[in-house]
Amino acid sequence: MRFVWFWTFWHWSKESFRYGSLLRSPLHGIGSHWDEWFRHEASEGDLRAIEEAGRTKSTQRRFIAWLLRHWAGETDWPRNQMVSRFVLGQLAHLPPFDKWQAFENHRAGYGVVGISAVVLGAESPGQAEDVRRVEALALPADGAPIILPEGFQADAGEMETARCAASSVLRGKGLLVFLALWIVGGRRPYPRWLKIAVALGWLAVGGLILYLLIGPEPGGRLFLWTATLTALWSGLMLVGVTVAAWHGFRAWRQGAVWATRMEQCQVRMRMNGGLTIKGESAGLPFCLNTLLAVSRVEPRLDCRSWLWQRFVRRLRAERDIWAATGVVTTDGYLRPVVLEPKLHACLAHGGIKQILTPRQSNASPRAMIRLTAARATPGREREPVPPPASASRLGFAAEKPRLRTHCCRHVAQAMMALGGLTSGWQKAVSALAIIVSGAMLFALPDLRAILVPPPAPLAVSPSSPSPYYLWVSLDTKHPERFQVVFESEFWANRRAEVTPHSGANASMRAEIFLHRLAGQTNPNGEDGTLWIERRHHFLTREYAPGERVGRYSVAYLTRLPHE
Amino acid sequence: MKTEIPIEQLLRWRLSRAEAEAPPAPRATRLLALARPWWDTWPEQFRAMVERLGKIQIAYGHAMAEPRPSRGGHPVPALVIRTTEELETSVRVLYLNVRDGRLRLRFQVDAVLGPEQKSLDVTFVCNASQRPVVSASASLSVDSEYRIDLELSEELARIWEPLKVTDRMPFRLILRADTNQG
Repeated sequence: MRFVWFWTFWHWSKESFRYGSLLRSPLHGIGSHWDEWFRHEASEGDLRAIEEAGRTKSTQRRFIAWLLRHWAGETDWPRNQMVSRFVLGQLAHLPPFDKWQAFENHRAGYGVVGISAVVLGAESPGQAEDVRRVEALALPADGAPIILPEGFQADAGEMETARCAASSVLRGKGLLVFLALWIVGGRRPYPRWLKIAVALGWLAVGGLILYLLIGPEPGGRLFLWTATLTALWSGLMLVGVTVAAWHGFRAWRQGAVWATRMEQCQVRMRMNGGLTIKGESAGLPFCLNTLLAVSRVEPRLDCRSWLWQRFVRRLRAERDIWAATGVVTTDGYLRPVVLEPKLHACLAHGGIKQILTPRQSNASPRAMIRLTAARATPGREREPVPPPASASRLGFAAEKPRLRTHCCRHVAQAMMALGGLTSGWQKAVSALAIIVSGAMLFALPDLRAILVPPPAPLAVSPSSPSPYYLWVSLDTKHPERFQVVFESEFWANRRAEVTPHSGANASMRAEIFLHRLAGQTNPNGEDGTLWIERRHHFLTREYAPGERVGRYSVAYLTRLPHE
Repeated sequence: MKTEIPIEQLLRWRLSRAEAEAPPAPRATRLLALARPWWDTWPEQFRAMVERLGKIQIAYGHAMAEPRPSRGGHPVPALVIRTTEELETSVRVLYLNVRDGRLRLRFQVDAVLGPEQKSLDVTFVCNASQRPVVSASASLSVDSEYRIDLELSEELARIWEPLKVTDRMPFRLILRADTNQG
């Protein structure tokens, strides 16, 4: 067995913890425990072996590799990749490892940098040093505090608020906000051709609706057009809803897994500089870095949600150019902060290209351009000179500011921006889809009546008790879909709508006022035929009458019972 | 002028100069005073500190939303004496081991001590008798911790040997950041 001395130390630490000599668990107190063991407990043989392991850079590297590959695998947390990074980071500052060259990289940090926090030093007007790198890692909790600042002092309540906000976007109201934002305007995991096809599909649905509303009379092709419209809209809705539901479900499942993991972990937030943080504006970066820390615990393969995977991948890839500031509430909403000096700090830093801020007036792109211009020519902003009325007015073709602000009301919006999930194209398509679908929902009864027409009704009682009226009562639940046409050579021809009538003789009927023709060609008062015709509507438009589905004589109808 | 001087003569000259400039040896009473513990030297101040230390009441009230297993130990009341201020705080005992008559202790001060002190003079005051039991120097270690390695009297070693970090400690601490002050 190699590096027995490390196992000796580890078991001493575990036993001392179990016995009650050590307050912190072997993992959480590893730095302190090693210091104690190395000073007082290590045997001569151990010390010689340690010296041997640190003799050359190559042997030192061998120890690091062993720690990463073998030791970490034999601890209680073989799948947590952060454990060995933490151990190396802690040991790197302690003798004899502080003299080992191979530990050089581990002295600067844990190598898990997240997005930077903009925390102003005391009375700082906003300098590059105020953009502070934050490292976050999640370790097994083992009864230790669930979120712990390292390298700075912060109020435990504020740190806890950031953790609660992270929990909310993993498995709470925050996740619903995130999914809603994504459904409305979020990039979809479609190939390019499908993206274009979907947009064209929605345009086609919109075009068909307009054609049916204001186009020429479709006549016999009404069924074909409405069938095409319904099929196209249903297909697009099916694709959209299926994609949204599937990815929403996966994101919810993954969020639940990570939220459970977060509850079982201690999140260590490291920010060098020994600051004592006053105020809560570091809440947003702490929240986002907590999410990153939780996602880093296990390999990327364990994330099966496209949404979370994209967010985490982008955050890892672009962490050096992002900074954030904002007070975060437990349910993930952002509150305004002092912003101008922080923007100055980001501009002075140079490496920061994107900053997440709460939605406030001085975070707008216009304010950013003004700030950039003011930095370029100090004093201009403070003393604006009004242009003389007679002079020609100048247009400043200001260059695009190299710092882009993303104003957010909620952590979910910050996640959308970080993950590159916001898509103008999708927003436009969604807006079109919402308008079109609204129209389709209103038109659904009309479409149904065209595609699946109601059965042809029969003429039933009551007939009219008055000799001046002819009642055509129909046994139908859809009176608005039918009309009655009266053709006679004795009476004036009429067309009447079928409407519901209540009262003593309630029925669905058409009431036709009988008016004798001046020049009658037939002297028979019972002459005449009543036709039942279908009516077709689409939203506000009524088409030409449809097929005739019933034919009754006046004599038949007048002999029906009155009640 | 004679420029060549033997080295032996030069050394004798340097020795006589050093003897002439050296401060006088301290008197026996001064040496005894230096050897006395500080609480004997400034008894009034010590009494006032112990009185203040005795008034510090520390107890955690757990009002957590979610029950979590914790192993926080009991905070030990401590009085930090610095040149410019006196601060009532508590310390967390992180490691406690009494073996072969030696005490090895590591602790962390809960209050922020401003610029970190490389060492602290720690006086253990018995909870029951309010008397000082032992004093030692604590050195700064990793992660703002302080460590003490101290030889205990037989009686004290016997009493403290069964102690665990999670137990309530039978002592309170006076931490003096600048030992030149009383």
